[in-house]
Amino acid sequence: MRVDDADEWGALMAAAQGGHGGAYRRLLGELREWLVRYFARRLPQGSVDDAVQDTLIAIHEKRHTYDPARPFRPWLAAVARYKWIDRLRAMGRERTEELPEAIGVASHEAAVTSAVVLGGLLDRLKPAQAEAIRLVKLQGFSVEEASARTGQSASLIKVNIHRGLGRLADVIRSAPDAE
Amino acid sequence: MPSERLIEDLAAGLVPVRRRTASRDAMLLALLGAVELGLFLLMGAGRHDIMLAMLLPSFWWKLVSLALLALLGAATALRSFDPAASPRRGLRWIGCLAGLALLIGWAIDAGHGGGGDLARRLDWRHGVYCMFAMAVLSIPMLIGLGLLMRRGAPTDRAGSALAVGLAGAAWGAFVFVFQCPHDDPFYIAIWFGLGCGLVALAGRLLVSLVTRW
Repeated sequence: MRVDDADEWGALMAAAQGGHGGAYRRLLGELREWLVRYFARRLPQGSVDDAVQDTLIAIHEKRHTYDPARPFRPWLAAVARYKWIDRLRAMGRERTEELPEAIGVASHEAAVTSAVVLGGLLDRLKPAQAEAIRLVKLQGFSVEEASARTGQSASLIKVNIHRGLGRLADVIRSAPDAE
Repeated sequence: MPSERLIEDLAAGLVPVRRRTASRDAMLLALLGAVELGLFLLMGAGRHDIMLAMLLPSFWWKLVSLALLALLGAATALRSFDPAASPRRGLRWIGCLAGLALLIGWAIDAGHGGGGDLARRLDWRHGVYCMFAMAVLSIPMLIGLGLLMRRGAPTDRAGSALAVGLAGAAWGAFVFVFQCPHDDPFYIAIWFGLGCGLVALAGRLLVSLVTRW
């Protein structure tokens, strides 16, 4: 995001707060592109679109909390990061479907980037937690398969995923958001 | 639903909004607090020997400590309802202030020649009543702050909810000071500390449940 974008987005949001639908439509369109890039670097590809839509709805519902006298970017980044943490927690609750052997992917760039970022985050966890999350949540193995691969019991795999995702959320919350 | 349609729907249903400001929230809270304290005193719930109590250092110690804790808690909570702000630093200050208040209480107790029969001084029957009264008196402020938190956009829900709980607890205890006939620093530190701790914990758990966004 360029500084000009942020300034312009602040002005568009101020207009939207006054009920200007055209400014708001344009703002949300530009924010959607920014959010797709933001989440593509931080989440598995299958979760990106849901996270973008969740965040757009959150921006809509909380638009009255933006103060036009202050820069727009920190406000936007804080909302996006909050939704990122939410999405990570949701990943811990969702049943993971086993992936078919071959999936057609248009471009690997976003997936590779998100894998690098997530890999960096997983390095901050205990090895058993990181391994459980990597196998079940990122690579699509069932809990039983991950149990067989790691030697951890199925219930320990679930506990490690739950605790690991909670710890990830804390790590993200305490780290400065670098875009 | 594709994002384009979502954007179209959000823009089509757009209505003007009133901006949230921390100063307006603070004024609403101050009004709520003034109404509660005014009603409490008008109902004759204040202690009858308040003029005598005002001569004791322990009365001012609990009144000023709790007022400062309530103010700091409310300021921390209100600030944290902005998505780009964190309550963590404020919570650390609240912890330091609470520790300092207990230290001053201990000094007052030592100067008072305390250290008698602790079980007698603890007077647990009255103590439990004090905790209950504090909890009841904290409810209006907890609800008020909870509603403001729902309207805001706190990105550290647990931290904000804890600040709300602490502010509500300190406010409830502050109002109760005008009724509580106990001036023993040991009694105050134990029962007020326990009461505030339990209300803060309840606030932390309940408020964070109802303020998801």
